[in-house]
Amino acid sequence: MKEKLSESIFDKISIDYIRNQVLKNAYGNDDTVIARLDPRVLLIWYCFFGIVPWFLDNVVLLICLFLFVAAAAYKAKIAPLVMFVFCLGVFSQTGYLLIVSLFFGGNAETIVPVLIMTLKVAIVSMASITVFSGLDPDRLANGLLWFGCPERLSFSISFAYRILPILMEEFQNILLSYRMRGKAPKKKGISGKIKYLIYQVKVIIQAFYPLLLNTAKRSRTTVEALELKGYRYAASNKEVKRMKLSSLKIVKHDFAFIAISVVWVFGSIGMSVTI
Amino acid sequence: MNQKANITQSQKLMVFVLSMSLYGLATLFTELIPSFQVGIVEFSVEYFLFIPLTLAILFDPMSAALGAATGEIVFSEIMLGQFGGLGELEKFITLTIGIYVAGRLVKNPKNRKAVAAASIFGMILQQFMGCVVDILKVQLAVSDFEAVPGLPQSVFFTEGFAFLNDVLFSGILFCMLPTVFLVPRLYGKIEPLLGLKPRDEKNLPAGDAGMTAKAAAGAVIGFAAAVGAELLAESGMSLIDWEASWAESSTAFIVGIAAAAVLVILVCSRILKNSRRTEAVQGEM
Repeated sequence: MKEKLSESIFDKISIDYIRNQVLKNAYGNDDTVIARLDPRVLLIWYCFFGIVPWFLDNVVLLICLFLFVAAAAYKAKIAPLVMFVFCLGVFSQTGYLLIVSLFFGGNAETIVPVLIMTLKVAIVSMASITVFSGLDPDRLANGLLWFGCPERLSFSISFAYRILPILMEEFQNILLSYRMRGKAPKKKGISGKIKYLIYQVKVIIQAFYPLLLNTAKRSRTTVEALELKGYRYAASNKEVKRMKLSSLKIVKHDFAFIAISVVWVFGSIGMSVTI
Repeated sequence: MNQKANITQSQKLMVFVLSMSLYGLATLFTELIPSFQVGIVEFSVEYFLFIPLTLAILFDPMSAALGAATGEIVFSEIMLGQFGGLGELEKFITLTIGIYVAGRLVKNPKNRKAVAAASIFGMILQQFMGCVVDILKVQLAVSDFEAVPGLPQSVFFTEGFAFLNDVLFSGILFCMLPTVFLVPRLYGKIEPLLGLKPRDEKNLPAGDAGMTAKAAAGAVIGFAAAVGAELLAESGMSLIDWEASWAESSTAFIVGIAAAAVLVILVCSRILKNSRRTEAVQGEM
């Protein structure tokens, strides 16, 4: 049973699938309502929804906030794989407590505190998913740069989103060529399964040898291109930073988002007080 | 070119980019592939640590270490939207120290024994620091730690067991063996791609041979900072617990929310003002 389950999970998570999901997450949603917001507004919004829920103990209020954050995440068109990892994370943190407590003769009363904890964790991590994967990576990097994060970090974010699809494709090609040349052991029986697993791990590790060499070439090209444009001087120059960040503007759209958030939060407070 | 400073700033950036993208890719996989258990021993592909270790042994250790730590945060935390805030700092610092120290220890990458020893030492160092932070966390969070019978023993036992498990299984299988496999093969082949001379006894990365007192002191200070950050993150949680009773009164709570809203409006207006100013400046230009 367990083996079947793990096999079906491995089938779902092929490299192709992961690549598509990450690509979709990074580039597929430039046109969503969330992605068009100013990154600074979203980061402040995240500070609110990432901290305040920890202070709350009111179930109604928490459910209202959860609905709002869930709506935002829906509007941001988060990729299913990321949502799945999120659900797994929330469940592994608190959800299993619920099942365990029910198993040990818990009742409706034990559900409430666990529910509160689950809601808190869910709101906070959903807000972080919305902000960090709903935003266009370049805009996110600019927003972080505006708040004084090191230039290296914002460069890494922009670069990572661009290089990841290429790297994944290359890794997959290398893996496939190894598989074509090698003979995989048979998967029969327990010892066969273990041998097959060892073979897989070995191939993955060996595949990093050509990958390291290729990526070394590629990173030299990248850095030389950066140097041609004067990247290292630009990174420490205030004038350049100001020019880079001048594209960030707060417009009507952002004010509408702020207004909706504030109204919703106050509305939820009102509801939780009356109930 | 100076014999000691044999690596330029842009080559350091190359190593940083290389280490970041490869280790980031690997951590992305480990984040998505579930680990599986055999009895009480947990096998996880948790450690693709051999990638940054190989790079740290072949190139400049500091750039490789910082690149790996950044890569982990960017690829597996920010990209998947699982950024944990201040607690991530602990992982960042322990990872940097572990890889850096391992990279500094190797003088001749062709010496397989030295490579094996350095890689497993780096791994043990990183795991050990994480383990100490975990124990300290429990010890400080539970004020009467010694008073609860059996608690200290159980914490030491579980943490120690996890530590041994990680070192013996993940450490040897996914960290030491691949590093020993990759380093001698890549040695002399990958350096010219970045325009560097291979490392040997005469041509060591910046600084003197092996570990210096300065590097060790830096590692200790970094570890202290990591412990501090982690404990701060924890105490933030307990602060929240403490404030929960305060938040029960709804008026105080509404005042708090209003204050937060005012703060948000203030910050936004500041952003707006700033952007207007930049526009004005651009208009003048």
